[in-house]
Amino acid sequence: MSTMVTGIPKVFRQRYASLVDDPEAFFSCLGSMQPRSFRVNTLKSGRKHVVERFEGYGFEIKQVPWYRDAFVSAEPDVGSTLEHFTGEIYMQELVSMLPPVVLRKDLMKAKNVLDGCAAPGSKATQMAAIMGNMGLIVANDVSYSRIKALKFNQEKTGAANMVITNLDLRNFPQHNFDIVLLDAPCSAEGTIRKSCGISEMWSERHIKKLSSLQKQLIVKAFDLMSPGGLMVYSTCTFAPEENESVVNHLVEKRPARLEEIDVPGFRLSDPLQEWRGETFSEKIKNCIRVWPHHNNTGGFFMARVGK
Amino acid sequence: MKKEILHYFRERFGIPPSCFQTFSLYAASRGRIYVGPETTIPRPEPVSVGILAARTGNAIKPTTAILQLLGRHATRNIVRISRKDAEKFAGGQDLKAGETEATEGYVLVSYQDTPLGCGFLKGGTVRSMIPKAKRLQLKFL
Repeated sequence: MSTMVTGIPKVFRQRYASLVDDPEAFFSCLGSMQPRSFRVNTLKSGRKHVVERFEGYGFEIKQVPWYRDAFVSAEPDVGSTLEHFTGEIYMQELVSMLPPVVLRKDLMKAKNVLDGCAAPGSKATQMAAIMGNMGLIVANDVSYSRIKALKFNQEKTGAANMVITNLDLRNFPQHNFDIVLLDAPCSAEGTIRKSCGISEMWSERHIKKLSSLQKQLIVKAFDLMSPGGLMVYSTCTFAPEENESVVNHLVEKRPARLEEIDVPGFRLSDPLQEWRGETFSEKIKNCIRVWPHHNNTGGFFMARVGK
Repeated sequence: MKKEILHYFRERFGIPPSCFQTFSLYAASRGRIYVGPETTIPRPEPVSVGILAARTGNAIKPTTAILQLLGRHATRNIVRISRKDAEKFAGGQDLKAGETEATEGYVLVSYQDTPLGCGFLKGGTVRSMIPKAKRLQLKFL
């Protein structure tokens, strides 16, 4: 595991000061604590039950306007509740809930779903809940050590419609999945608030290395979709090399259709159209960015891709 | 094996086979039985399928994972416990069973209609079968 560096490096500030609408609010937000959040695991419980129990504990919890199963709370002991022990709730960052939310209607009809980089399983178990434990989710991860956490969370949430595979996605045999989620390995700049600093590994060189891997993964993920299928590509980072540039690579290599993303009640921002001399395709405008200071969350990027 | 497992959950806990209707049962090594999706993929071979439901051997032992998921459908061999005992049970401690209609063997331990997991009832004591990694010191219940 990489260690964290407290504070924000100068080169990081320089990269993003010109991209964000309000740099002062952005950097100030990165230095502040992020509210805890969780979702109700509908495979085991219901919102009403959890809200009643938490009110009984004297907890202040607030439902978010864009996802009725998600709540935020300043209460530090949410992880010591009966509901956490039984898997009736799942502690998860709000932005991490976005990909299953933008796929919700499609997941309800899907027969088979691939989560290409699934560990530790937050999104895969959320998708299982949306699917009501029906159909099939293939939760794949390249790291055998991270699969332990994925398995743990699967058992805890009761996501029985899930099988776990352990393969580099680039070597995944050909299948036709209705839905593919590619929450790609990234430089995780958007999680600075949660981890109280930036990874020691952070550097522009590391970003370039990740970008190259992500470009291979996104093309492979597209090839694993059935005709008429859907994919969400997401990262929790701000780096354009890992976001717009990766999706741009896909549209250059494959006949990908970029679909609009709308999450009523949640502020989404436009993607970049160019970055350091690279101009992106018109199609990229349908991708979205999430800046932390807009919704008091982590940072995120998403593209919804049709085939 | 599928019939035997479904029979066990029906007979021991009153959990009807219909609760397993949308799933398939998969037998793995060392007598482990998983409840998983109806269909899976042939390649790559999954490292695991669904959730561990029971271990078979001399006797069938249900897991906490399956009892937490389907325990709300159980009608018998349930040991209902107090708040104090629920704290102990979640932390992995054994309990005195008190008055219960449950018979000796594996039981569903429940607190205020919430299934907590699997216990083993013998000689008036309920042994907590909560796996070490899942144990938790509860502060709010």
